[in-house]
Amino acid sequence: MSEHAVVGKRLPRVDALEKVTGAAKYGADINFPGMLHARIFRSTEVHAKIVGIDTSEAEKLPGVHAIITQDDIPTGRAVFAKDKVLYYGEALGAVAATDPDIAEEAADLVKVEYEPLTVVQDVMESIKPDSPNLLNDKTKDGPRRRVITRQLKKLSKVTDEDNSAEIDRLNTELEGLDDEIYYNVAGETHESAGDAEKGFAESDIVVEGTYTIPRVHQVYMEPHVSVAHAEPSGKLTVWASTQGHFAIRSGIAGVLGIPLSDINVVGVTMGGGFGGRFNIQATHVPAVILSQKTGRPVKAQLTREEEFLDGRPGAGCIIKLKTGAMNDGTLVARKALAFWDCGSVAGGPIANTIRIRGVYKFPHLQMDAYAVHTNKSGTTSYRAPGAPQAIFAGESQLDEIADIIGMDPVDLRMKNMREEGDQVPAGAIEPIVGYKETLQAAADAVDWWNRKKEPNQGWGVAVGDWTNGCGPGAVYVSVHEDGSIRLFHGSMDITGTDTAMAQIAAEVLTVPYDQVSITRGDTNSAPYNTGSGGSVVTFTMGNTAKLAAEDARQRLLELASQRLNTDIANVELKDGKVSLTNGDAPKSLSLGELAAYSLSTTGGPIVGKGSLSGKLSAPAVAVQIAKVEVNPETGTTKVLKTVASQDVGFAINPIAVEGQIEGGVVQGYAWSMMEEMQYDEKGNVNPGFVDYRVPTSADIPRIESVIVEVPAPNGPYGAKGVGEPSLTPTLATFANAVTDATGVRINDLPIKPEKIVNALKSNGNGSR
Amino acid sequence: MRNFEYFEPKTFAEASALLTRYGGEAELLGGGTDLIIGMKDRTLTPGYVISLEHVPGIEGITYDDCDGLWVGAMTKMRAIERSSIVRERYTALAEGAEEVGSIQIRNLATLGGNIAHGSPAADTAAALLVLDAQVKIAGGEVERSVPIADFYLGPGQTVLRTGEILTGFSMPARSANSGSQYLKHKIRQVMDLAFVGVATSVSLSNGTVTDTKIGLAAVAPKPIRATDAEAIITGSSLSGEVLRQAAGAAAGQSSPISDLRCTAEHRREIVAALTKETATTAVARAQV
Ligand SMILES: Cc1cc2nc3c(=O)[nH]c(=O)nc-3n(C[C@H](O)[C@H](O)[C@H](O)COP(=O)(O)OP(=O)(O)OC[C@H]3O[C@@H](n4cnc5c(N)ncnc54)[C@H](O)[C@@H]3O)c2cc1C
Repeated sequence: MSEHAVVGKRLPRVDALEKVTGAAKYGADINFPGMLHARIFRSTEVHAKIVGIDTSEAEKLPGVHAIITQDDIPTGRAVFAKDKVLYYGEALGAVAATDPDIAEEAADLVKVEYEPLTVVQDVMESIKPDSPNLLNDKTKDGPRRRVITRQLKKLSKVTDEDNSAEIDRLNTELEGLDDEIYYNVAGETHESAGDAEKGFAESDIVVEGTYTIPRVHQVYMEPHVSVAHAEPSGKLTVWASTQGHFAIRSGIAGVLGIPLSDINVVGVTMGGGFGGRFNIQATHVPAVILSQKTGRPVKAQLTREEEFLDGRPGAGCIIKLKTGAMNDGTLVARKALAFWDCGSVAGGPIANTIRIRGVYKFPHLQMDAYAVHTNKSGTTSYRAPGAPQAIFAGESQLDEIADIIGMDPVDLRMKNMREEGDQVPAGAIEPIVGYKETLQAAADAVDWWNRKKEPNQGWGVAVGDWTNGCGPGAVYVSVHEDGSIRLFHGSMDITGTDTAMAQIAAEVLTVPYDQVSITRGDTNSAPYNTGSGGSVVTFTMGNTAKLAAEDARQRLLELASQRLNTDIANVELKDGKVSLTNGDAPKSLSLGELAAYSLSTTGGPIVGKGSLSGKLSAPAVAVQIAKVEVNPETGTTKVLKTVASQDVGFAINPIAVEGQIEGGVVQGYAWSMMEEMQYDEKGNVNPGFVDYRVPTSADIPRIESVIVEVPAPNGPYGAKGVGEPSLTPTLATFANAVTDATGVRINDLPIKPEKIVNALKSNGNGSR
Repeated sequence: MRNFEYFEPKTFAEASALLTRYGGEAELLGGGTDLIIGMKDRTLTPGYVISLEHVPGIEGITYDDCDGLWVGAMTKMRAIERSSIVRERYTALAEGAEEVGSIQIRNLATLGGNIAHGSPAADTAAALLVLDAQVKIAGGEVERSVPIADFYLGPGQTVLRTGEILTGFSMPARSANSGSQYLKHKIRQVMDLAFVGVATSVSLSNGTVTDTKIGLAAVAPKPIRATDAEAIITGSSLSGEVLRQAAGAAAGQSSPISDLRCTAEHRREIVAALTKETATTAVARAQV
């Protein structure tokens, strides 16, 4: 890495000081004189018709300034429930009062009359004909029905042969497939390659299983918050804690039916998002409408309990998976049928069920996935949406196969991994990838083939993959008379992306890192920018920062050649100076001198621009190996070792990269071992950290990160998206380790102690 | 949170008078780690909050071979876990205190608050049970002493009457050939509430267990003693068979519920597992 001076270096974050000193201003820190506080009132029923909402008592409470319901939404777009509630905690309206306690008190005084309806919270129940019809969806066909219906359609078009026997046969089969008529389906996706059934028939062994992954919350540290101020002129300012302030601007404009240009969204420092912080209705829209009504600034902030009841967590799912393989370990076919619980809002990462293909060469693949409505809150993205779940199923099943055929789990994976030029099942041709290198790196780090374990200990390995996106983004770089470099953009920094941009600009302009500063603009000042999700930011903004810095460098070279009266070919930028390269007396101009000089030129001040979108990204892979110890009497699991390797293309800042890897491992560990939103007939029953467990540092000992760098052709210095891949293999890693330790396999996450004890009991080797 | 009036009495008499004046509308404030949570979610809405922080004489740890151990109600969990006498002779109590929340919480949380709160899952309750603690209570001029086993009435219910303050806990002196352990079953290593808590205390004489006490938390409406299991162990030399029987007896004496954390059956299994483990450790510690 010696070819680079600033990128690739372990440098502190640009925002380190403001974060550790508490100077950073988060949404909750934004306050104005006369500001009101909002409180949302919520459904106390899980599924019911709303007969009436009576706000009269609440209005009388001293300090209450305004109360809004769905009737106050000008476009009628759904913000609050109006005719019926679909889950416990669904927002019905909001109160603005002079302090948060009064607002809370007032919200409690709102009386709502309900007519309860039958509740369905389980996806497998919801798809049945006798389940309540939640959102008037048409029924959908299951996989076999789809095939038959399509065949029948084809046959009906054939006129030159007699197909009546075949048609009759298919019709009879169709009649027997009533259980494949799915109700309450919000969406579906289907993919295939080859012929899965044929593949299973050709396989030496076929393994089947049902994998259940619960709904999990992103549990970003900071609950949703916004402050809105509507001015009499109609102009709106919203201070929003969000992953993408431009997305919030268009969202608000859509719901209110007002021009974008009337809205300025200021993205404030944010306490995490993981995909869950693009939500406009949680706090932004209520704050805006209450501010419009009262003419005062209004702050709306969720409690942690409200985050659980009415946030948009990651969807849970049930995946029925089947894999066929040869005795030598060659993978032949895989088929998945998945039902995603998208709650009350259409969504769920159904398309990413395709991640069951992993990084392997399956000649035959089939995937059918459905999003199913239930009486729960809607869902949204959670870090690599859908991948951890699909990969949990896929990688668990690989270990089962390895066990049956007596092959080492790493060898099995290595044997089947794709390389550059291979066909991606139901996809394109694989570009350059680092799958094998990354698996090898993790295996080497633990000396895999010589691994040892004591009784009740086990090793688990799993491989996950993900590809970052590339959204629109833009950066300006300006050079000032003191030689300082300033970057300006409209991208929200969650993970250290501003730091990466600053490093890149310093690299291009050959200045020390601390000479570069970076400013985020609000939507009124900054050029449009994509939201910070989908691992897009360093890939996108790193590229734009590089383009902008290169643009500025070009101008610096032009200025220097003018000033030094020489051809531009005779000057070069090095060590923060532009110097003559053609032998004569050494002459150079510092960036500061050039910036000062630029002010008197007709070209004006130095400003570089970088703007792009949609660059082709490169697949990334994450491999994790864990060693655990399970107490067979209590079912308690202890993590002894975790190694995480990841192909990051190029680590612009290795500290930041390791932080992303470690965070993914910790989240994935929690999904596999403890996290789960639990529901009973009263709704979500663990809306808080007492019974929704996220791990602490005591649960996972040091994570050893191994950085692998197979450069992305289009990434800045080869960098790939780093944020999401690290969560993709983790669920399976720990599940596989627990199986290796106990001999039992738990396909129903999280792997709580009770499940282990019960499985050991029914396996006959319980230790009592 | 609802509005309330806040007092910081400087003497016990003052605190007592305030408590008498406001009666059922007042709450005492120890570390506040239970109380403030309840006030924030408005399950508790006291009109008056009386801090015990500046009341003298109800904080600290003292020991002598004759009177044994005294721990003031306002003593912080952190002080208890770091006390060498508690760690040496009343090990289960140190381990119970150490299980509470995080270091930050334990720097606030008091032993009095943990017990007065009345939770059957309180992490120090099982230890206090097996260490024979007496709960010291004062109201106005009247003082009384209640064995910890009689202190609890049910979930959130204790014998504390309106106007009474818990002042401390006393535990008899313990000989060098005694040992104890507290273990908590949980999913998260720290900051988790007990699914099950088990404490065992033993005394040894010539390789025979002469005295056994087993306390169970979170498996009955209040912390209880597993007396059947105690009887099996006392007089034995703790063979594998004795342990198995005692574990079964302890599980049998528990009456756990099924809830969102786990089933009653699992809790019973854990009672059995932890009874075995704590008894084994307690005996090993008594031998040292
Ligand atoms: C994050 C977190 C984690 C926790 N983890 C655990 C855990 O792992 N295990 C566990 O057992 N607990 C846990 N708790 C609960 C709590 O910390 C303990 O119960 C603690 O010991 C309570 O003591 P306190 O001094 O804070 O009580 P307070 O909140 O001050 O008081 C609790 C109750 O007791 C009353 N009270 C207090 N002192 C007296 C007195 N001297 N006389 C009469 N009444 C009194 C109060 O009026 C109030 O009703 C946790 C709490 C939090 C917030």
